[in-house]
Formats: sequence, structure tokens, C-alpha cells
Amino acid sequence: MISSIDQRKMLLGMAVMAGLALAAFAYSGQETSPGRENRILKQELELARSPALYFILDFRAEKIELKSRGMTLREWKIEKIRRWGKLPSPGAVTLDRKSTLFPPKRAKIKPGAEEEGSFELDALELKDMPSSFAFFLEGGIRIYVRPSPRGFFAKIAGAGGFLVWNLWIPLKNLVFEIRKKPFGAFDFVLRDREEAQSLYWAFPQGIKGIIVSD
Amino acid sequence: MIAVLGWAGLWLFIEIVAIILAWPERRPEERSHGLETPTRQNAAKMEKENALLRRRLQALAPTGIHIVIDSARNVLYLKKGTEILRQAVVSCGSGSILEEPGGRRKWVFDTPRGEFEVRSKIVDPTWVKPDWAFIEEGKEVPKKTEERLEPGVLGDYALGFGNGYFIHGTLYTRLLGRNVTHGCVRVGDADLKAIYQAASIGTKIFVF
Repeated sequence: MISSIDQRKMLLGMAVMAGLALAAFAYSGQETSPGRENRILKQELELARSPALYFILDFRAEKIELKSRGMTLREWKIEKIRRWGKLPSPGAVTLDRKSTLFPPKRAKIKPGAEEEGSFELDALELKDMPSSFAFFLEGGIRIYVRPSPRGFFAKIAGAGGFLVWNLWIPLKNLVFEIRKKPFGAFDFVLRDREEAQSLYWAFPQGIKGIIVSD
Repeated sequence: MIAVLGWAGLWLFIEIVAIILAWPERRPEERSHGLETPTRQNAAKMEKENALLRRRLQALAPTGIHIVIDSARNVLYLKKGTEILRQAVVSCGSGSILEEPGGRRKWVFDTPRGEFEVRSKIVDPTWVKPDWAFIEEGKEVPKKTEERLEPGVLGDYALGFGNGYFIHGTLYTRLLGRNVTHGCVRVGDADLKAIYQAASIGTKIFVF
């Protein structure tokens, strides 16, 4: 027979054990961060050794950095992140392609025609870049980028985007799930139109980078 | 009516399943990414290794004079380490395409992006007009080099950074800040002089 005092002692002992186990678990959770940082640093060092530009997509700090040789050339702050599907595996990725409804078109020069004398420049400039677009990264990661909606029409478009995001993207995820293909969709809202346009400009197809997730 | 309700119900069911499946994960599974949960000793060792890796990474970044060019905003930064010594409005590549009649050759007038270095420094440069310049003007490409020379159009100085690309001056100062060039970086006179004086052969140029 176990007395009620023994029972209480046993319960107390179990509670202490559970507390210690929880503390150990919490500690081990914290300990993963040097390991993760180690992995990221090694990957960045590998990219930084080449003369090519690379990016760091940091979900934790909510920012995107364009870098070369370990030096940040430009940084974009992500004002809002929404996501569906799996978190991307932390590691090196390549930008497979960029997609937008109206891709910027390069002007074709007509030989013999005046160019700089006239004030009509057929140049591809920042203002010609789209502000709403998608980056398709390897591993089934899609990043939808748009500026923070300002003005009546932008808000109407934003409402449409809300429906697409909440109804269409989960369905896409379902299709990918059935086909056993990786899928992760992210919606990034940047500060303004120019921020989004400059991101489109700065990221050429094929650029390599690193994802830093939670 | 029943059929419509039936289809709506089916769609709602699929949508709910889709949303449940797509619901974002809260935490990544570290182990599935091949990361081990380190012990305290391992963590301390890893911290040391991380500090070393950070130092190695920092050592790759330029500490001396270097040039950073933002081709989207047409801005050039002359920097020393992290300090900006001078900021200049420039003109970068137009992104236009030129095709040789007959379609044999094609040029895309972008300013190349990436890391480069100053390979040549020239005072009073003379432009040796490349083939595309004649084709663009609708003229025949000359065979003699002398017929390609055009002095006085590149400003007082030019800094070559490879493959025929230069940072040079311009007669079209009103177009500074616009993407109008054939890939070179045009700079105003005062800024060009400062850049020329500060940069030496081997000075790193980063274009994005």
C-alpha cells in the first residue's frame, strides 16, 4: 500500500523530473542556433569566395540582402510576410526564374536612327520594372513580392490578392502535395513601389543565395 | 439548386483540406536538414568556429578604397571600407538591343554586374569606336583603326574595368541619372576627377 504522503512525494518527484526534462529540452533548443549559424556562415563563405553577387533571404530578420564578398550592397526590409506550405530548408538556393504579368521589354535600336539627340530614350530603367512579381527559387519555393498598397485602386487590387492568396495558393499546394512535389509560398510586402522594383532589377535569373529560416 | 449546393459543398471541402495541408509550419525540423542538436561542449566549439568563419568572411570584403555602382538608381559610391567618401550621379547601360542587319551579331547594352577591378587608367582618353557604334549609326564598319578614333567624347579620364567597359566622362551631362549608355558608366567631370585620383589599378568595383 502506498500512503498519501508517498503519493505526494512521487508526484512532486515526477514534477521535478518533468521540469528538468523541459529545461533540458529548452536548452537543447537554444543550442541549435550556433549549429545553424555555422552552416549559414560556411555556405556564405563559399558564395563570397566567388566574384558573383549573392543574396541572403533572412526570414528571421525579415530582410533581403544583396551581397558580394561578404559586403552588403543593398538591403530590403520586408514589412510583412505571409506564408503557405513548408518552410524552405535553410541552405543555398538558386533563383530559377522571375515571373510577372507584364515583363519589362528591352527596346530594339534601329540602325541609323537618332538616339541621344532626341529626348525620347528607349531605355530600360528602374521605373519600367514591375512592382508585383514572383521569384521561383529551387526547391519549390515561390516568393510573391508586392509593394505596400497605397491609394484606392491598390487597396482594391490588394483585396483581389487576398482572395488569390487565401483560396488559390492553398489549392496549388494541394496539387503539389498530391504530386509529391515540394511547395512553399511566401508573400512579401515591401515598403513602396520603388523598393519592389529595385528588388526585381537587382536579382538576375540564376543568382545564388542562402535562406535563413526560423 | 441541390446540384449547385453539392458543388459548392465539394469545393468548400477541397478548400478546407487544401488550407489544412498548406497551413504554415511553426518550426523547421532541424534534424531533417541534417543539423545535429549540439551538446554544450559542441556549442562552445561551434561558437569559436563561427567567430573564425565571421572573420574569414569579413576579410573578403574590401577595407580600402573601392567603388560600388547601383545601376538601377544610377548612383556611384566611392567608398573606403564602410565609409562613403563620395556619391555621384552616373549613367549606366540602357538595356537596349542592337542587331546587326543580317542578324549575324547582337549586342545587349547592359552594364555588367558583379565584381570587377580597375584595369587601366587613362588621361584624355580617345574613344576607339567599336563595331556596334557604326552599326547603330547605320554606317559601314571601317577596316582601319584610325577611322575609329574619336577624341574628346569620354571626358578627361577613363577607368577600364574589362571587356571594353569604362567609367568615363560625358558630354551628355543632362542625361546623368538615366540609363542611356552602351554599358559603360558615365560620370560628371568633378566626380570623375575625384574617382580617378582615388582609384588605382586593382581597385575593386562592385556593380549591382
